[in-house]
Amino acid sequence: MANSTKGIAGIWEQESLVLKAARKTREAGFTKFEAISAYPVHGMEEACGIKRSWLPYVTFIAGVVGLGAGLLLTWWTSAVDWPINVGGKPLFSLPAFIPIMFELTILFAALSSVAALFYACKMPRIDPPVIDPDLTSHKFAIFVPFNDTGYDESRIEKMFKELGATEVKKTEF
Amino acid sequence: MAEHNHHVNLHVAKFQAPAKLKTISYALVGIGLLTFIVGLMKNQDRLWTSYLVAFFFFSCMGLSGLFWVAINNIAKAGWSVSIRRYAEATTAFIPAILIGGLILLLGFKHLFPWANPEYIASHPLVAAKTAYLNTSFFVVRLFVFALGCLIFRYIIVGNSLKQDVSGDPQLTHKNIGPSVLFVLFFSLMFSFFSVDLLMSLLPTWYSTIFGIYTFSGLFQAGMAFLAIVIVLMKRHGYVKGYITEDHQHDVVKYLKGFTIFWAYIAFSQFMLIWYANIPEETEYYIMRAQGGWMGISVLLMIFRFIVPFLALLPRGAKRNDTHVLVISTLVLIMQYVDIYWMVYPNFFDGHVTFGFWEIGIFAGFAGIFLLTILSFWTKHSLVPLKDPRMHEAISHHVSY
Repeated sequence: MANSTKGIAGIWEQESLVLKAARKTREAGFTKFEAISAYPVHGMEEACGIKRSWLPYVTFIAGVVGLGAGLLLTWWTSAVDWPINVGGKPLFSLPAFIPIMFELTILFAALSSVAALFYACKMPRIDPPVIDPDLTSHKFAIFVPFNDTGYDESRIEKMFKELGATEVKKTEF
Repeated sequence: MAEHNHHVNLHVAKFQAPAKLKTISYALVGIGLLTFIVGLMKNQDRLWTSYLVAFFFFSCMGLSGLFWVAINNIAKAGWSVSIRRYAEATTAFIPAILIGGLILLLGFKHLFPWANPEYIASHPLVAAKTAYLNTSFFVVRLFVFALGCLIFRYIIVGNSLKQDVSGDPQLTHKNIGPSVLFVLFFSLMFSFFSVDLLMSLLPTWYSTIFGIYTFSGLFQAGMAFLAIVIVLMKRHGYVKGYITEDHQHDVVKYLKGFTIFWAYIAFSQFMLIWYANIPEETEYYIMRAQGGWMGISVLLMIFRFIVPFLALLPRGAKRNDTHVLVISTLVLIMQYVDIYWMVYPNFFDGHVTFGFWEIGIFAGFAGIFLLTILSFWTKHSLVPLKDPRMHEAISHHVSY
């Protein structure tokens, strides 16, 4: 797709090495680099200096909105728009409304989280550039984009090689 | 994992019970004994109700540890290995369930209305239940439960302690079978235990979810206690490296999860009874909606669910020692209030009654509970060092 970025990538075959490399890359002053792995690597967030995601806030706010929406819906349908006497209970009976409020809390929170996740990850992306097909199974990569501070291909290549990269290549991601 | 992003400095000190804490524990036991003896002579009714609440509270504490260890064994969990000893310590109280149960039988007639023939004669609904609600069957159930838990504790915790000496990894596998059996035994027998001790105080009333309700409280309180122990052990430097913020974080996740579970079960019990509106079922909640009990019912909802739930939502809150201590203590207090709320409306004409009887008996049990866990830690290593899954626990890491 149009919005991929040129840069340089190193390929590693060991989890421990890529974790170390990620930390060194951050310590070398790069901020926009990406670490690519087929599965979540423990400690990678800290190694890359990734801040906490803003997704939980979306979940929480959407949940609160869902709770309110549930209350509004049950109140309006059973006490305002079409009042029906059920078992002699008051028209506005909170205990009966709680299951619906709960369900809407979960529904709003879950769907909003997924939507926000898609937005945050720029999904769906149908043809992302492939740095190395083995990155989906047993290899790991660190990609530094050309516009990162202090970008210098020969310097990065040398650093990656020293950190145990099996391959360094100019690519886009 | 081959490498971890921060250097691990491992250290376990030999546990020595702080002299002050020991003195306090003995003093608490003394207060309890004194209250008990005076109560036997002066005020048996008050004595036995307060005894029942405290007995049930600490039985739950002891059982929560065994249950938690069992589910971790079944799940073959690696992360929790290094904090297992803290849960195992609470099980040192289990022998006291047997002894305490024996003592409870002394107050049998004061507590359970169905133990009186005149009550049964005047309540045909209760008379129909005597196949279950009779003294001998009650005693049998109580003993099967207490003895069974003791035997399972002997096997499950025993294997773990044996491994400390022999280092045999087979002991870890050997613990899976007994753990599965214990969970099955526990789920059935703890329901009976709750129904017998708490639900049968109002023999005309029944709730089919009652056993799960008491279990949810047990587990929530157990996790609160575990979280407190983790924070204190870290703070006093007995163990370094084996327990980290990440362990604390996951235990508090348990605490938060079972806070929600408690609310879910409590509400399920309430809503179905409220909706169906059948007299035999609603009497339980009517008793708890009158006089001062309404306030306590609302208090439970707020401080056992809403406050801990919101307070434990943020990630930072689960990793903040003081915050975890405060919320866990609140949960433990509410566990007491919850059991109190299940027992007391049945007595003293439905008036809210609380005083030094309740405090004294609770203090006695608390003293015994503290002494049993302190002696457990003094006798055994604070960390099961030779567990084959220890490496997983040391490198345990909670990602964002």
